[in-house]
Amino acid sequence: MTSTAAALAAPVHKEKSGRLTGLLLVAIPVLLVVWLVIWPIVSAIVSTIWLPDQGGLSLKTYQFFFTDSYSLANLSLTLWTTAVVAVLLLLFCLPIALYLRFSTGRLGAYVQGLAIFPMFVPSIILSYAFIRVLGPNGMMDILLNAVHLPKIRTPYLTPWGPVIGLVWDNIPLTVLILVSGLGSISNAAVEAARDVGAKRFQVLWSIILPNLTNTLLVALSFTVLNIFSAFTLPYVLGPAAPEMMGPFMQRTFRDLNDPLNAITQAVVAFAFCLVFGLFYVASVARNRSR
Amino acid sequence: MNRRELMLSASAVAAATILPRAAFADPNRIDWITSSDQNVIDFWTNIVKPKFEAANAGLTINLVDGGDGAGLIAIASRALAALQTKTDPQVDFLEGYDTRIPKGGIEAGLWTDMSKAGLSNYSKINPLALDIPTNFPYRGSQVLLAYDTTKLPKEKAPKTWADLVAWIKANPGQFIYNRPDKGGSGGNFVNRAIFEANGKDPKVFTVDNYTQAKGDEMLGKAWAILNDLAPFMMDKGAYTSGNTQSIQLLSQGAVTMIPAWSDQSLSAIKQGVLPDTTGLVQLSDLGFPGGFTTCGVPANGANHAATLKMCDFLLSEEIQSAVLTELGGFPGVSWDYVSKDLQAKFADIVPKSIPVFPAGDWTKAVNDGWYRNVAPNIDRNAK
Repeated sequence: MTSTAAALAAPVHKEKSGRLTGLLLVAIPVLLVVWLVIWPIVSAIVSTIWLPDQGGLSLKTYQFFFTDSYSLANLSLTLWTTAVVAVLLLLFCLPIALYLRFSTGRLGAYVQGLAIFPMFVPSIILSYAFIRVLGPNGMMDILLNAVHLPKIRTPYLTPWGPVIGLVWDNIPLTVLILVSGLGSISNAAVEAARDVGAKRFQVLWSIILPNLTNTLLVALSFTVLNIFSAFTLPYVLGPAAPEMMGPFMQRTFRDLNDPLNAITQAVVAFAFCLVFGLFYVASVARNRSR
Repeated sequence: MNRRELMLSASAVAAATILPRAAFADPNRIDWITSSDQNVIDFWTNIVKPKFEAANAGLTINLVDGGDGAGLIAIASRALAALQTKTDPQVDFLEGYDTRIPKGGIEAGLWTDMSKAGLSNYSKINPLALDIPTNFPYRGSQVLLAYDTTKLPKEKAPKTWADLVAWIKANPGQFIYNRPDKGGSGGNFVNRAIFEANGKDPKVFTVDNYTQAKGDEMLGKAWAILNDLAPFMMDKGAYTSGNTQSIQLLSQGAVTMIPAWSDQSLSAIKQGVLPDTTGLVQLSDLGFPGGFTTCGVPANGANHAATLKMCDFLLSEEIQSAVLTELGGFPGVSWDYVSKDLQAKFADIVPKSIPVFPAGDWTKAVNDGWYRNVAPNIDRNAK
């Protein structure tokens, strides 16, 4: 990234038309973002605070959201799920990524294939498979029963249902981001540390992790955005109440015919995602300035 | 041609292909789109379409699967936009749709008022099925109990609401229903509890008599019944998120009894999704409510006249009888307008009256109230 930034900044003395072409090239994506992202956000915010039948400017819908214990329970469940899934993802994916980075040979390729596999499974299929495997009287119970162990209490229709599903679903993206980040750590640095007698854990703690903080932040913000807006898995696998923001918004919009409150919920969800988005932008900016 | 010119012309060609192509509806082709399941599309493909096209030479029906309700909402929003710009909405008929959405559509005149559309068969519609005049009903279905006869012998199956409550409490963890807004089987189980709490009289609830005070009082009594049952549900108060998931749990033997749609359970048994040992029973004191599938007809559709002709055809005895025999659903017209031998044939298994819970404000209050009052009110980790 550093080299691209330098290359873009260097030819200042070049003719002006070059610059114009550059601007034109970015104009299309920028316009698309303005049209399809920025404009809906602005219109959502405006339509929730400018209520003509309430006599203009009003924060009534937000007041309702933040004083309604049901809405707040949904928000806190979403935050809880997001935090738990993010932590579990890092715990699962970091070892896989480290293995993939330092392994050589056939087995590594198979592990990588396996780690990427969830990407190709649509979440609706995953949900029903989950009910078959971890649901009541599912495969897990049959296997446990075969070795004379008691049944597990199924995570299906509890908050842990979506957690397990979302972790599985987000493994590929996290692993890919972490592997690409680990790729920037040179073998030489690791070998040098080993030469001076560093143990495995010391290499991880003092050489690899400090170089990986940025990547971790990127991986985290990506998965957090994914989880926050998750719909299918919490919808099918989660409990009836509290529910995550995705199903909550959809239900408010569709089943309660209440677009205004649905948009309010969307703006609140967006505000939380914005925080993580800023993390991502800040880390990219830091990377560039280095 | 140098490289730059090549790039420019190539991108111009590429851009031209993604320009929105001007599309027009074919004349005399009714563009039909549905939110319903495959069995309904099959019914239209095999029964309604050939019969209608044979009876009306020159007219064709273009059957399109819109996926789900959200898919149809997107199409309807487009039709509303088309109404404002006076362009062709490219859709004539929305099957399985509630015209209350998009907001402002009815006020803008997007939907045809079917009571004033001059349909010769309109008066035959079952009065229970009439919701708002822009919602056009033509078929219905009723909820009943599906259970595993290997665990519960047929003669011991509950026949009244009191029996059912007693059975649920005697067999904790063996019953589950889905969230009322996520599928009609659980929804109408909840509606039946509401009737139970209010003197078993469906007539108390009409489309336009909902008030906040009435709702709090009448629904509050129902929440008490359901909260009383909650600890005896599967997993001490779990609720599936759809008709299909309930059927899956019954087929996995995780529960013994579920409320289910009559047509859906019949086809599940036929396809082997549910075993042959599945029993079906309807309560005899007051049946589980049913619902009618409504459709919307955009007033600005390019083939509006032909579409109205199709709507009239849908209410004919021929199609309404087929709804009963081929689809496993209930006719949208009153029972008097179904052929005499079918009336006799289904007399035993279909009650003369299907209790119907009104759509609109009442349903909205039920959907919101259930989530706030029934779903969270239990400590599921308590032993």
